Amino acid sequence: MAQAQDTPFRSAEMSMVQLYISNEIGREVVNALGELGLVQFRDLNGELSAFQRAFTQDIRRLDNVERQLRYFHAQMDKAGISLRKIDLDVDTLAPPTTSEIDDVAERAQSLEQRVSSLNESYETLKKREVELTEWRWVLREAGGFFDRAHGNVDEIRASTDNDDAPLLQDVEHNNSAPDVERSFSGMNIGFVAGVIARDRVASFERILWRTLRGNLYMNQAEIPEPLIDPSTNEEVHKNVFVIFAHGKEILAKIRKISESMGADVYNVDENSDLRRDQVHEVNARLNDVQNVLQNTQTTLNAELGQISRSLAAWMVLVAKEKAVYNTLNLFSYDRARRTLIAEGWCPKNDVNLIKSTLADVTNRAGLSVPSIITVIETNKKPPTYLKTNKFTEAFQTIVNAYGTATYQEVNPAIPVIVTFPFLFAVMFGDFGHAIIMLCAALAMIYWEKPLKKVTFELFAMVYYGRYIALVMATFSVFTGLIYNDVFSKSMTLFQSQWVWDVPEGYDGHQPVMAKLRDGGEYTYRYPFGLDWRWHGTENDLLFSNSYKMKMSIILGWAHMTYSLCFAYINARKFKKPVDIWGNFVPGMIFFQAIFGYLVMCIIYKWSVNWFPLPTKENPHPVNRNPPGLLNMLIYMFLSPGNIPPGEDLYPGQAFVQVALLLVALVQVPILLFLKPFWLRWENNKARAKGYRGIGERSRVSALDNDDDDETNGGALHGDDGEGLAMISQDLSGQAGEEHGEFEFGEVMIHQIIHTIEFCLNCVSHTASYLRLWALSLAHQQLSAVLWSMTLGPALKSTGIGGAIYLVISFTAFFALSCIILIIMEGVSAMLHSLRLAWVESFSKFAEFAGWPFVPFSFKSMLEESEELKEYTS
Amino acid sequence: MANGWSIFIGLAIIIAMCVAAWVFAPKGENQVLWRSSLILSFVSCYLMWAIAFLAQLNPLIEPRRSDLRPEYIHH
Repeated sequence: MAQAQDTPFRSAEMSMVQLYISNEIGREVVNALGELGLVQFRDLNGELSAFQRAFTQDIRRLDNVERQLRYFHAQMDKAGISLRKIDLDVDTLAPPTTSEIDDVAERAQSLEQRVSSLNESYETLKKREVELTEWRWVLREAGGFFDRAHGNVDEIRASTDNDDAPLLQDVEHNNSAPDVERSFSGMNIGFVAGVIARDRVASFERILWRTLRGNLYMNQAEIPEPLIDPSTNEEVHKNVFVIFAHGKEILAKIRKISESMGADVYNVDENSDLRRDQVHEVNARLNDVQNVLQNTQTTLNAELGQISRSLAAWMVLVAKEKAVYNTLNLFSYDRARRTLIAEGWCPKNDVNLIKSTLADVTNRAGLSVPSIITVIETNKKPPTYLKTNKFTEAFQTIVNAYGTATYQEVNPAIPVIVTFPFLFAVMFGDFGHAIIMLCAALAMIYWEKPLKKVTFELFAMVYYGRYIALVMATFSVFTGLIYNDVFSKSMTLFQSQWVWDVPEGYDGHQPVMAKLRDGGEYTYRYPFGLDWRWHGTENDLLFSNSYKMKMSIILGWAHMTYSLCFAYINARKFKKPVDIWGNFVPGMIFFQAIFGYLVMCIIYKWSVNWFPLPTKENPHPVNRNPPGLLNMLIYMFLSPGNIPPGEDLYPGQAFVQVALLLVALVQVPILLFLKPFWLRWENNKARAKGYRGIGERSRVSALDNDDDDETNGGALHGDDGEGLAMISQDLSGQAGEEHGEFEFGEVMIHQIIHTIEFCLNCVSHTASYLRLWALSLAHQQLSAVLWSMTLGPALKSTGIGGAIYLVISFTAFFALSCIILIIMEGVSAMLHSLRLAWVESFSKFAEFAGWPFVPFSFKSMLEESEELKEYTS
Repeated sequence: MANGWSIFIGLAIIIAMCVAAWVFAPKGENQVLWRSSLILSFVSCYLMWAIAFLAQLNPLIEPRRSDLRPEYIHH
């Protein structure tokens, strides 16, 4: 079976395959296919919800393991233990066996319990620690109050002796009192000591004041160091308070209020000796708790440290396993025969590889039941599978960003590989900037491997397009040489074709014109690119604008003609001659009759010597006036057949133009009507012979009995369920429309739109290429301005000041060159070039009606998974 | 040295290069890629050069400037 090789030129040929796998090895088969990454499975259980599927239980279990692993990761983050990441390029994890997965699940389960119990006890201990610390503070601060208060007991005493006197108000005024008992209890004064958050102190005080009507004495002190709230792990500033009050009930009230305000009340003894003992005790307990805490922390860290070594690998294993079960859920499960039936797309050339993989897995499992793979015929539209390599990947991506090419149509990325960077270079033509860009691209390619690990998003994007940048820079070097621009200056690579025609007695201020070196005898023209003598002249722009505009038109014409040719290749491939004769040929003639002619005129005008020198045969040549091409094109339409005298480009121009115009106009009805009427005629012919459109609905093959929406497939059904358990449903909405009944109106409208679009686009797209001129002009002028604002004046200055000025202005020049002229201008030129590819080129041939081939592959799954990003490097 | 015939000489060189690219493109599934990219690059570059050359073949205007230094005019 000799088959055409799959090339990047068009989508690989795809086949729909059906797999019959014994239930026991389903997991292993999917694993092997996942490693292979060549099959895109179809969902055969579309009517089942996620919960009803066969392997939902397993997925749930794996979800749980995943949750536990994430819990470990969070705990490790909290403990500041770094994860040993795994490098997917280096560590290729072998597909896990069921027991390995069970093992991981079990270990995760027990580890979770351990970690969480350790965490729990850690939290309890931490709470205890905080309490003890608070108590210590209370003892210390309250002790201070008491010591101070004891010195004043006599004063207080004096006030309490008088029952009418307020409790504390006149403390300061009564300082004469005899000996007193040095105790508060004697005065029947009790106290409450505790700790409260600092931000609540004000309201606490107010509430106490109001409820007790001022019958209290409150003393407080700030705890200088912040305490840590164990439940939230946040720092809290707290105050120690001691409230003195009179009477048991009031004290009970104070306690209640403090508790309701979230204060912690601690037991403090009034007696200083007892208090000292208390302090000792608290300190001892605090020490114990801290010891235990440290031990717990070490154990926890050790445990987590051990997990951290294999966590990433586990995570990947579980992710793979989950993907396997998710895929298995797409399969149809025949409970009676214990077989799994899978359907999917795969490249035709790889069917044998898949076959051997299947056989391999079956043999290894030692099953007597073989796994069967069959290729089935279908009229469904296969997915588009465009092979890429390291170089073409980024180009393919920018094409896919626009759309997925139709199955088997010419891959639009093929011409883009050259045209996109080239058109970029036409706009970015500056030798100096291109060299810097080339160095950057080469550096990215040289250090390809180490730079791959950089996760900074903006850089990753540039890195992804490094090969595009390389081709763009290479072409820019070339166009820079053609434009003879290096940082807006010129290069004198060859002798100029001009010499200055200096008048007698030149004083340096008159305008000087140049004349051709060979005097117009065609012996010397500047051989490569633009003559450097144009640089810095007064009429430089006059010349370069005319040159660049014409160049834009010619390049645009070439690009569009080239693109249009792919329409022919597509029509040939799809065997639709009507597309060739009804679309491609008239379209091409229309385009060439107008714009091909314009390009011919441009080249003709360039190649004619409008001011010939006198020769022997013709001693008095007539200097003709070179006609403007723009007006010529406009008047070709406005007044065909009329060439104003003196404006003629060549003899017989009027006739040629009228003929071309007629040819172009004739193409319009051909474009409009040929295809629809041809299709109608073909359809009627077929119908007259009694054919009906086959598969007016989309079918894969015969189906088992539970498929109820089949109306025309009765004959194909045969015996229900005998041997074939096939599932048919629309892959996508579009698949069914393909063979719908022929509707003339629809086709006609479609063709009218196409015709109008094509004809108008010929004009607007050609004009659109003028952006090549505009952007390259902008780039050149901008770099000239930058030079004249930075390095230009600096180079004129002398002395030490001049040297410093030069260094500064060079820095500014270089930095601005890179930022504005290379990065910003580069991005802008790239976007314009992208548009030229997407719109001007693709609209000529590509249909973009395909759907992408996304095979089940572990490699791409692991690369694309956002969740696994933090576990892999 | 370089006169109007250069266009055709250049064309011949480019055609030779294109043929060489077609013949010597490495075999394998990327052959089409090599051929199309190389030939397209050659043709694009040739177009670019030929346009620049043709534009200066029969110049309609001459360079003009008023800031020429008298020391420079001998060059």
